[in-house]
Amino acid sequence: MTNSEDMRWWYVPLEIVMLRRWLVAAFIMNVLLLTVDYLRAESDLLLLGVLTCVLFAALRASLPNVNDHVRRNISLVLSAALLGIAVYRFLRIEPTIFNIWMHCWSLIPSGLTLFWLSGRPVTVWTSRKLSDSAIEYGLMRNASLSKMYHATSTHVTLLHFVAITVIPLIWIIDIAFSEGNALGGQIGDSFTTEHFSKILNGDSFWTWFRNSLIVSIGTALLGLFIAIPAGYAFSRYKFTGRDASMFSFLLVQMFPGIIILVPYFLVMKTLGLLNSHLGLILAYCVTALPLCVWMLKGFFDTIPRELEEAAALDGCNQFQVFTKVVLPLSTPAIAVTALFSFLAAWNEFLLALTFNTSNDMYTLPVGLASLISSTGQAWGDFAAASLLVSLPVALLFLFFQKFLIDGLSAGGVKG
Amino acid sequence: MVSVEFEQVNKQYEDGFQAVKNLTLDIEDKEFLVLLGPSGCGKSTTLRMLAGLEDVTEGDIRIDGMKVNHLPAGARGLGMVFQSYALYPHMSIRDNLSFGLRMMKGTEKLDADEIAKRVKDIAQLLELDGHLDKKPKELSGGQRQRVALGRALVRRPKVLLMDEPLSNLDAELRHQMRNEIRRLHDELGTTTIYVTHDQIEAMTLADRIAILDKGELQQHCAPMEAYHNPANEFVRSFLCKHIDDLVDTANALFKKPEEVGE
Repeated sequence: MTNSEDMRWWYVPLEIVMLRRWLVAAFIMNVLLLTVDYLRAESDLLLLGVLTCVLFAALRASLPNVNDHVRRNISLVLSAALLGIAVYRFLRIEPTIFNIWMHCWSLIPSGLTLFWLSGRPVTVWTSRKLSDSAIEYGLMRNASLSKMYHATSTHVTLLHFVAITVIPLIWIIDIAFSEGNALGGQIGDSFTTEHFSKILNGDSFWTWFRNSLIVSIGTALLGLFIAIPAGYAFSRYKFTGRDASMFSFLLVQMFPGIIILVPYFLVMKTLGLLNSHLGLILAYCVTALPLCVWMLKGFFDTIPRELEEAAALDGCNQFQVFTKVVLPLSTPAIAVTALFSFLAAWNEFLLALTFNTSNDMYTLPVGLASLISSTGQAWGDFAAASLLVSLPVALLFLFFQKFLIDGLSAGGVKG
Repeated sequence: MVSVEFEQVNKQYEDGFQAVKNLTLDIEDKEFLVLLGPSGCGKSTTLRMLAGLEDVTEGDIRIDGMKVNHLPAGARGLGMVFQSYALYPHMSIRDNLSFGLRMMKGTEKLDADEIAKRVKDIAQLLELDGHLDKKPKELSGGQRQRVALGRALVRRPKVLLMDEPLSNLDAELRHQMRNEIRRLHDELGTTTIYVTHDQIEAMTLADRIAILDKGELQQHCAPMEAYHNPANEFVRSFLCKHIDDLVDTANALFKKPEEVGE
């Protein structure tokens, strides 16, 4: 490629590459954020919001090509206009964290576009004279900056996801440590542990905690006891009705839980299992089983048959093949399955509420709900108790983290 | 004395595919028999029926004159080396080697000292001494192959079965292991049945070869005899022609430049 006429088609400044993507993101975000302006019912701000979106679309469309200084000038004017509108809107709003974040989505993209388009690399690129050495230098510059720019966009995206998950958590932590039982107030304006001591010193919490623990561990154990052999059979043996029964496992999952609620209640009533741990354990097992069986079947499928054949030739009977070779290899998958059924039982609300009528048999979620409904709305107590409920789960996740990743990205035994 | 006999053995899979047809074959004591054929010819199925990993549809398989058709795999006193090695990933090499010994039942049951001694001996024989406490995934392909071989041999099997044991190795190692397998056979004198689709492997290893095609036995004799007197057109093209082509290619490659000009 000695010809600079050809070569210039292969060179685009990194700024332009990035803007082509980031302006699309900015456009989409601004469209979404129109909802906020709409809900606030300030018609002039909403109008400016719409204008911002239109201008972003126009700016994206007008981004220059090589040698195209006319379009570059149009883009410059558009981004300057956008920046002006963004600054005006920014001055009109109350400076809360959310508002600042929201307007950054028009401030930063427009400012950055203006800055980059007027910068040297783009100026040279859009000018008529683009020398070979300029292209060479530009390509080198692209390569050295590329990693940083890509990392920036990745991290900005990830930060948004993190915020979405973490903000409610921060909120509830704040309520749990705030004085009084009302919602509202600024974050971190008061600090007290009264809610925690009240919950931890009361009898109810520990009763609920015990109930939840018994039911969840029972579910996990009974679930594994059934799901492991079932998953193994589905994975290894051919028998009549195999596919049909595997499908029927999924069938239950297709209906919303509330449909099964009434039949379950009648069954439990007939069996005399209302207000008992066993009733809940059985019901949870039935709901958790399909997922467990399918997950374990999937894992067993990855264990090569030759391993089992080798064990058979080494003198194992079928049961020994299973216990001495298959089970030890499946610990990650089994841990994950156990964790899933434990969590399902720990968090379940509807069945626990329906089957148990006395305070002594409440599980934690039901107990928590009773804090809100019965004697006024004790939000502070509720938040503190919620944190205490999630603590064991968080610990479990920390402890099982390695297993979880192994078990979910299962590929058992390669190598 | 160990002998293996196949008498009129048939194998038909559930989907109706006839993998082995009327196979009659005998393997003598201390013999190294190679089952040779293209893929899908039924050679692996034959081996797996003998091992007890597949049911026999029809006919008898006898080891030492005793019919073993319905004996569980572990009770037949065989050792097997799999193509993928099939080492137990969660066990150390020591445990991999001793697993079969620890599983022995009845009068065969061994005490811990005897097991340790046998593992030590086999590790020495296969140069695995330094690796006994490692896990399979820490070993190289050739070492894993030797562990697989050791695991089959440590039980002192009546017959050693090998299902394409070298096909996962690179050319250099394959050559080396081939010599080692033959050396072990000469040293231990274990009756061996070896499955392969590689003609050279078959010619160099075998005392006798059994050539199969489409589930039927084509020829069963010493390797050189098959080469010189092919029984039919299939053997001629699959074995003789293949080897001749190889020889021609090698000759053409190493011809001196002046000879090429002539």
